[in-house]
Amino acid sequence: MIAVLRSELYRTVTVRSSVLALIGFGIVAACAGYLSDEFWALMAGIGTFGLAVMVTCQHYQHRTAMLLFLGEPNRLKVLAAQSLVALGLGVVLVSVSGIAVVASGESDRYLHTLLVAPLLAVFGVANATVIRKPLWLIAGYLGWLLFVEGILYQLEGDMIFSAFLAAASGSTRGLLWVLIWTAAALPIAAWRIGRDLSGD
Amino acid sequence: MILAMIETRELTKTYGQVHAVADVSFTAAPGRVTGLLGLNGSGKSTTLRMLLGLTRPTRGQALINGGRYRDLKNPLREVGAVLEQGLSHPGQTGYAHLMTQARLSGASRERAVALLEYVGLADAGGKRSGEYSLGMRQRLAVATALLGEPSVLILDEPANGLDPPGMAWLRGLLRDHAYVGGTVLISSHLLSELELLVDDVVIIGEGRVLRSGPLDELRAGTQLRVRGGDHERLTAAYEQAGASVATDGRTLWVAGLSPEQAGDIALEQRIPIYELIAETQHLEDVFLSVAEAR
Repeated sequence: MIAVLRSELYRTVTVRSSVLALIGFGIVAACAGYLSDEFWALMAGIGTFGLAVMVTCQHYQHRTAMLLFLGEPNRLKVLAAQSLVALGLGVVLVSVSGIAVVASGESDRYLHTLLVAPLLAVFGVANATVIRKPLWLIAGYLGWLLFVEGILYQLEGDMIFSAFLAAASGSTRGLLWVLIWTAAALPIAAWRIGRDLSGD
Repeated sequence: MILAMIETRELTKTYGQVHAVADVSFTAAPGRVTGLLGLNGSGKSTTLRMLLGLTRPTRGQALINGGRYRDLKNPLREVGAVLEQGLSHPGQTGYAHLMTQARLSGASRERAVALLEYVGLADAGGKRSGEYSLGMRQRLAVATALLGEPSVLILDEPANGLDPPGMAWLRGLLRDHAYVGGTVLISSHLLSELELLVDDVVIIGEGRVLRSGPLDELRAGTQLRVRGGDHERLTAAYEQAGASVATDGRTLWVAGLSPEQAGDIALEQRIPIYELIAETQHLEDVFLSVAEAR
């Protein structure tokens, strides 16, 4: 487990696209923080989710998941390690990009976002483990966020991103719902990570 | 009794109604190089994936050192694998790729650096693997497989993309590995290349084992190419002596006689011989004869 975690962390920081994505999402979120702290929370959340999806899906996209599963045949441990890596990336992204939010006196939102972001990271890893195609996932969830949660429900309610925003505002109910969504996604991911890796 | 380092027992993989692999049983012994031969889509890769725990068998067992891959305590210390023409993230340098895998297998940085040099990629270690040629990716994959100093090597089409010196290098590496007691299982459709390397052969077709055994045994049965004055009488005389004879109209192919016997029979019959050549079967001939027999 520790070996997988070390390997995954090293891999993430040495794959250029992962580092660029972290920096890119961080800059977008930080810029959003200058406009509004709520917008920052949304961007930091999207960034955390996107990064988690990206670093997980890369393994399936480039078939390096085979190497990973050869090194750690217990795929639940792989899922756990990937979740921890994504969680770490999410914490870095939120904590660094939110400096402007803290400086503007919104430290409560900063801390609440920092608390809920790791859950969204794990939710992203679980989704990427099931779907395995980053473009489908990111495009699908952006569409969902924009049209369903955004336009239809005005970012209110208990769906994942709305709940995340509520939790980032300090809502216990929001935090609970993000926890429920993540907890619901994990058993599916745990089941689906065991499926065969197809060939060429 | 020799401990079979790699063993499959009635290994079967079914996708819906399709049998990708059906009742495949063979062993790959320590100190020997075993070749898994077959055409594309014959079930070689699926068999190897089941051995490595990447694909779940529908039925049967795939064992390494007597246990399933997933039950090995430190798999990368026991088994090294080369799969799918070099797996690596194209945005990661060769060195970083190897270090990622070193962290996974518990190998040292020094080992990774030494292997990078050993496979001839020391100068390209800082380049992203996406910029590598196919041959370079294969070399990186071999280095990855060797990181944990495993006793078992499983390689799926490792010669693809390698140039002739690269193939010779790989051949030497695998022969050395077997020489010191390691087990090598290699799949390929490059029969002439495999012939120079393997001790044992498992021929697989349509997901089934068609023939298996030591290479020398499989290609035993030297046949004679004979061209003489009267093919009809020669055929009758050879068949009377217990040989089997085939002809394409111009040449006789005689199995079951030594060149001396064939020459003596022709002399007895007073039939002139213009050509008498003993031809050893190549792996390709064995493979084709097995494939045609189906």
